[in-house]
Amino acid sequence: MVSTQNQSTAERDGGDDAISDLAGIEPGSPQARLRDERPDAVRFAQGSYSALLEPEDPAGVSRRERELVALRVGILTCAPGVAARHRARLRALGGTDAELAAVERFQDGLSGLSPRETAMLRHTDLLTLQPGASRPEHIAALKAAGLTPRDIVTVSQLIAFMSYEVRILAGLRVLSEEPA
Amino acid sequence: MSTASRPRFTMDVLEWHPWLETVDDVGATSEQAELVGKVAPSPGSRSYYALLAHDVPTLRERTGLFNAIMYGPGGARRSDRELAAVAASLVNGCVYCTSVHARRYAQLTKDTETTKRLLDDGVETGLAERERAIVDYAVKLTRDPAALSPADVEPLRRAGLSAPEILDVTQAAAMFAWANRLMQTLGEGVRPDGVPS
Repeated sequence: MVSTQNQSTAERDGGDDAISDLAGIEPGSPQARLRDERPDAVRFAQGSYSALLEPEDPAGVSRRERELVALRVGILTCAPGVAARHRARLRALGGTDAELAAVERFQDGLSGLSPRETAMLRHTDLLTLQPGASRPEHIAALKAAGLTPRDIVTVSQLIAFMSYEVRILAGLRVLSEEPA
Repeated sequence: MSTASRPRFTMDVLEWHPWLETVDDVGATSEQAELVGKVAPSPGSRSYYALLAHDVPTLRERTGLFNAIMYGPGGARRSDRELAAVAASLVNGCVYCTSVHARRYAQLTKDTETTKRLLDDGVETGLAERERAIVDYAVKLTRDPAALSPADVEPLRRAGLSAPEILDVTQAAAMFAWANRLMQTLGEGVRPDGVPS
């Protein structure tokens, strides 16, 4: 541990670090050293990102659907870097201009997305903006659109994780903007 | 109906009741059962973890993250992290999360009076400088992360928090952006006598 103290966690583990990428943190910078002081938080945040956005077994929620949801959270929370990342990933999975536009301007009944995708995005808006307004009927709506309990847990975890991620990024941003 | 009004917060011990089937209801795999047994901290929250166990890899990682953020060594006091958790939970209106973390905050600080005022009067209630700075920062981060500015960090600096400590408070508030959203939207806190909280 002592010998690797100056390496970032991502380098140590030989893996990716989505939050570091999104925050634009350069290796060896004060921000990199700050994050290195919390190696478990870095490791498990990236583990959560991988489990939700790069799952070995996507089970009932496709990677495409996961990217739709992640993009929508980036848009709703005014996190341009997060939105850009998931826009690019959605394109890489075959997302079209029309689909991307539908996520940007999502509104019930006007989306041009499938009923299942529409239900997921409606839930994304609810959880992101007004979690306290949730009722059992919202779960029933997801079930009616064909989501299983496991799918609902995964989509909820993804939306909630993204809510975490945008706030960590906001905190890292203001710490880097502080006057010296 | 009453969703727009401020919920009634409590430090009482609540149970959490899911709005959909948990792995206990549909037959847990041995992997799911083992994970739930390991991560559920109390009988009253078992069904929450038994619900999240539908997605095992995510629950594993999330549990590691939660423990690192709330109980990891060094940096911000445990009570600072619990206070950020309470502030986020109050803003989001998560009655269950608030009850758990208000109890922990009161235990750590031995200050039940302030804790109760936070729950009864809200995040604007009178607080000492350090607590005021942590609550205001957590509230801003919870409500509008895009609007967070360096000026929001200044009171934390004036109260003597270092950059790692500010990161710890950020992580705790952000973790509750996550936790509240699960607790509030997959089920609800219920008094042990069965009355919805």
